Amino acid sequence: MTGRKIGAVMVVGGGIGGVQSALDLAEAGYKVYLVESSPSIGGRMAQLDKTFPTNDCSMCILSPKLVECGRHPDIELLTYSELLGLEGEPGNFRAKVLKHARYVREDICTGCGTCQQKCPRRTASEFDGELGERKAIYVPYPQAIPNVPVIDKQICTYFLKGKCRVCEKVCPAGAIDFEQEDEELEIEVGAVILALGYETFDARLRGEYGYGRYKNVVTSLEFERILSASGPYRGEILRPSDNEHPRRIAWIQCTGSRDTSLGRGYCSSVCCMYAIKEAIIAQEHDPNLELTIFYNDIRAFGKGFEGYYESAKKAGIRFVKSIVSDVKELPRTKDLFIRYVEDGEVKEENFELVVLSVGLEPSEQTKLLAKKLGVELEPCGGFCSTPFFNPLSTTREGVYVCGVFQGPKDIPETVMQASAASAVASATISAERGTMLQQRQYLPEKQIKGEKPKIGVFVCHCGINIAAVVDVEAVRDYARTLPHVVWAEDNLFTCAQDTQERIKKVIQEEGLNRVVVAACSPRTHEPLFRQTLMEVGLNPYLFEMANIRDQCSWVHMKDKEGATQKAKDLVRMAVANAALLEPLERERLPVRKRALVVGGGLAGMTAALGFAEQGFEVFLVEREAELGGNMRHIYWTLSGEDPQAFLEEMIERVTTHPAIQVITNAEVVDHEGVQGNFSTGVMIAPTMTYRKLEHGVTVLATGGEEYKPKEYLYGEHPAVLTQMELEERIARGELDLGELRRVVMIQCVGSRTEQRPYCSRICCSVAVKNALKLKELAPDLEIHVLFRDIRTYGLLEQYYTKARERGVIFTRYIPERPPEVEAEGNRLLVKVWENTLKDDLILEADLVVLSTATLPRENEELAAMFKVQRTLEGFYLEAHMKLRPVDFSSDGIYMCGLAHSPKLMDETISQAQAAVARASTLLAKDEIEVGGVVARVEPELCAACLICVRACPYGVPYICEDGYSVIDPAKCRGCGNCAAECPQKAIQLQHYRDEQLVAKVLALTRGI
Amino acid sequence: MDYPPNVKLIRVPCSGRVDSVHLIKAFEEGMDGVYVAGCLEGECHFLTGNLRAKKRVEYVKGVLTTLGINPERLRMYNLSAAMGSRFVEIAREMTEMIRSLGPSPVKTGAGREFPQEQEEGEEQ
Amino acid sequence: MIVAQAKPIEEILEMIDKYDKILLVGCKGCVAVCAAGGEKEVQFLASAIRTARKTQGREIEIREVTLERQCDPEYVEQIRGFAGDYQAILSIACGVGVQFMAEHYREIPALPGLNTSFMGGALEQGVWSERCQGCGNCVLHLTGGICPITRCSKSLLNGPCGGSSNGKCEVDPEVDCGWQLIIERLKALGEFESRFMEIVPIKDWSTSRDGGPRKIVREDMRQ
Repeated sequence: MTGRKIGAVMVVGGGIGGVQSALDLAEAGYKVYLVESSPSIGGRMAQLDKTFPTNDCSMCILSPKLVECGRHPDIELLTYSELLGLEGEPGNFRAKVLKHARYVREDICTGCGTCQQKCPRRTASEFDGELGERKAIYVPYPQAIPNVPVIDKQICTYFLKGKCRVCEKVCPAGAIDFEQEDEELEIEVGAVILALGYETFDARLRGEYGYGRYKNVVTSLEFERILSASGPYRGEILRPSDNEHPRRIAWIQCTGSRDTSLGRGYCSSVCCMYAIKEAIIAQEHDPNLELTIFYNDIRAFGKGFEGYYESAKKAGIRFVKSIVSDVKELPRTKDLFIRYVEDGEVKEENFELVVLSVGLEPSEQTKLLAKKLGVELEPCGGFCSTPFFNPLSTTREGVYVCGVFQGPKDIPETVMQASAASAVASATISAERGTMLQQRQYLPEKQIKGEKPKIGVFVCHCGINIAAVVDVEAVRDYARTLPHVVWAEDNLFTCAQDTQERIKKVIQEEGLNRVVVAACSPRTHEPLFRQTLMEVGLNPYLFEMANIRDQCSWVHMKDKEGATQKAKDLVRMAVANAALLEPLERERLPVRKRALVVGGGLAGMTAALGFAEQGFEVFLVEREAELGGNMRHIYWTLSGEDPQAFLEEMIERVTTHPAIQVITNAEVVDHEGVQGNFSTGVMIAPTMTYRKLEHGVTVLATGGEEYKPKEYLYGEHPAVLTQMELEERIARGELDLGELRRVVMIQCVGSRTEQRPYCSRICCSVAVKNALKLKELAPDLEIHVLFRDIRTYGLLEQYYTKARERGVIFTRYIPERPPEVEAEGNRLLVKVWENTLKDDLILEADLVVLSTATLPRENEELAAMFKVQRTLEGFYLEAHMKLRPVDFSSDGIYMCGLAHSPKLMDETISQAQAAVARASTLLAKDEIEVGGVVARVEPELCAACLICVRACPYGVPYICEDGYSVIDPAKCRGCGNCAAECPQKAIQLQHYRDEQLVAKVLALTRGI
Repeated sequence: MDYPPNVKLIRVPCSGRVDSVHLIKAFEEGMDGVYVAGCLEGECHFLTGNLRAKKRVEYVKGVLTTLGINPERLRMYNLSAAMGSRFVEIAREMTEMIRSLGPSPVKTGAGREFPQEQEEGEEQ
Repeated sequence: MIVAQAKPIEEILEMIDKYDKILLVGCKGCVAVCAAGGEKEVQFLASAIRTARKTQGREIEIREVTLERQCDPEYVEQIRGFAGDYQAILSIACGVGVQFMAEHYREIPALPGLNTSFMGGALEQGVWSERCQGCGNCVLHLTGGICPITRCSKSLLNGPCGGSSNGKCEVDPEVDCGWQLIIERLKALGEFESRFMEIVPIKDWSTSRDGGPRKIVREDMRQ
């Protein structure tokens, strides 16, 4: 059987990285096994309160992805399970998985939570950073997927003492099974992705900060739980020693990061930002808090981070550049006494709560698993080793990696890498795409036109979630009295699998043509019920939900009568609307299985090759005559690779690949269509030939460029260069190194300014790289780097350390007094204010090298043509900062590379692969469904007034030749703005027609 | 996390779907108060729908004033899906405000809530 | 198009105060396009009137209709079947529509729900501006396509008055001086020298309102 490949991938680790990989793979046509060692997926992100820099609620944005993952027919969740080993070869592995006994049957449990309530045994909750409690039988957090508890054998009274079994007695579903045993599974997969995540640094190892001894010293992750509304203090900021409100809170950065003495010579990349976020959120809770962050460098290097940092400073959060030497507890008050050095002086201060910004590191289990799998680790920190130009591949072929296990990173970069890993992992088995998928079975759709509404109402108890407050039987009886209702019943759990079967049976037996479920939120559950309707041939839009849990029982606990009355009102409104529901048509459009990539630099070429390896055709359009973009001017990397050799080979692969059509000298001149069916015109020089390209997806990789400064005598004095020019001159041997005695590099030229208020991310590493190169070529050369904050994040920190060891002199300047450069004949004088010495430092330099900003390449016209959004700085704007980092908000268009924001080459490669993965989820489908909740025009009524044309946020409506407005259902997003503005009421938003909204009002006010 | 049960929600895909006709209809039907809850400004899921909704709310407030109905009975709020406690706060705030104003004159038929001359926003 | 705007609701309420059964008629023509008299405004106004009446404790019955146009007899006749059942017709068309209603339904009062403002166009969503006064004797070929009758507050024909300052009109500093616009336009067209220096003779206003109500007859079309 050798050579047979398997169209399935195992993703190990169910945090946001693993979840994203799993979803992208499954949507692209591969079967996924998602293995997670804890009882539920969600990982660290589930524990966070808010996320930087948008302050989005972490759980709110994560939860829909978890639900999607849990429901996906092609994702098999193996929670509470671990990968034991991997045999076989790439394309055909046999994975051994140990599934721990939960002692709760997943197929029966409805997640009602009764067992947790009644279980008598308590212990500290890992999820709440041990600040809160959980039971012996527990679901780690309320939104956990799967919502099936486990019994913690270590503390369960029955397992310890042989009696109790309370959970078994109270379980209404009979799902408790004490006889369950661990199970060993053997699973065949074509590739494996390791998304093993991290654990936080054990702060006890920094004994001088007192963590573990002093109650009011907490880690940053514990503080997330303190902030969280679902956390141990219900979102009130209290300190653990006395549950009092602290007034003065300090964060100590770099606890367990950038510390070679602890074997952690890397930067954890996220701590500066999360500390700023925690301080901002804490201040939102209580504006009178005094908040101080003790830092080393503030590393606000990602997209939107610098602005976030600035806003924190403006809000009055205090930043102290200093390493705290120790923390002492004051025995009586339990306050904390901090000693630190600032500007050469020893200072002391009291705080009521100290938060240690702990670093990230792979866990011991992760390292053990890596060893078992034969995956090599970095000597620095034990992160997974990956080749620079292949950042998603481990040292074992067929095993890929993403997320923090590959190196410290934040959520968007994890998501990016997770998508990217799904692309590279599936590339090797792309011939097997679709071979292992579940087919969903639907009955042909029943025509209900002309039928009178026959409504069935299903009222949910939701265990006790609803029933404890609302009189569910009374609501059910009331529903029976409503017009058009021919069936009403109540269910313990309307969402349970067996209830779905029951609903189907009732629909068929009673001939229902509309279904109302009175239960929880349509946001999470509507898809499930619509699916159920489709399975018996009812149009999915003949469904309506009344939310009598989130909007009723949960929020009116103290007023049972009022809640029951309201539940009746909500059901009456839902029934009134249901009677007016219409089956909505969805049109199927074929997908053009071809990609267009605009931009032939590293990002564009990587994307083009990625698509080709997935088996899709690609047009690669480049404005210039040659491929390569900025990479043509990069000659070395920090880790010692040869970019020019890599580039040459890559261009060769791109230009000779049969699936890739390279079109150089080409400008995009027009663009139209919808996802799956785009058409883009290009004008090709020098003949100016016009060519129309038809494609299903678009990737914009239009790149960036180095800022050519006006500052510091650039362009006036020959000895003032940019970093890129320096690199080019060294590489070409145009620099007489023997003649040079002193080189001064100035950081943040054109970045972090008022005009360009962002950090260009890469300049610190580039300066370190070129400084090290100069030192290698001329060890006696004196090199100064004048900086504001050195932002060598992640594993790059090692090179900053190395540069200092090699004698490169780093001097901090403050933005209020930036360096000055004066010409003195051939030489240059650099004056810089040294804030610690409180004096000017004057350096005579033979060469001044400016680390200038990275700008997006001119993309305004292109952005307008593709109707995509940009940031104020002109970078492309993603659909969601955190969880959709390569998608535009317009469907079918993706971004990667410098056009998104400044980044290093390996990051560009990851992002380009991520764009491939996201686009492949669309290209993998033969057709897409459009329509449903879209606006529809009644041509007879239309006055062709253009108001809809002007009101649509997406520019969809147009007035056709026959003089009325046309709205393409494939393009319409269903917001209904046009319908609200139409002066003739000629436009109705399907499923939310005026008549329906008014019917709800009438049902509410007029009763039956 | 508790608010009075007199608040009932009508779901729309975007606050920009809410039409001035829907708002006035609600008052015609005797609602004591109506509020439109949209995304935070600048964070509209559909780019600008919440800003359009805000303008329509302002317009209808003006009409209510001329009809003798206290315009405070209609409000626009902006909040994100993550702001549960803010939602509760709004529900309470709105309820308390309506309680202090009493039932809508549409239901009582008691004439204008405030004299013709009185300027908008001067109630209480 | 003809641009109109809603009358203050108080005024409408006063107009219909003595009725308890009215017909509210919208128009799908110009006034729908300028968002003053289409189906949506019919629904909104009807609801607002009922709301106001409810606050007074007396109900009113309103039938809501929107016609294709209120300025053509065939369309106006479409309500013939039921118009007689109502005490008044409240028309939210332009003044033409209200008068057509009055002419066709002589036994029922026709009331205006709009103030008809001007002939103009949309500058952007929600903004309309006047462009034409229907003087019946167009001079736009002489003035760079900008109407001095409409755009100049004083309808001057031979250049700006002394009240033009910094391109704005003395009548209202928000208003562009029409002649400033004309001059700039003529310069851009390269016609300034030839056109501006030419004296425009005294305009014949008999084609305008000065000649009384106007009428156009196309004999070739007439039956």
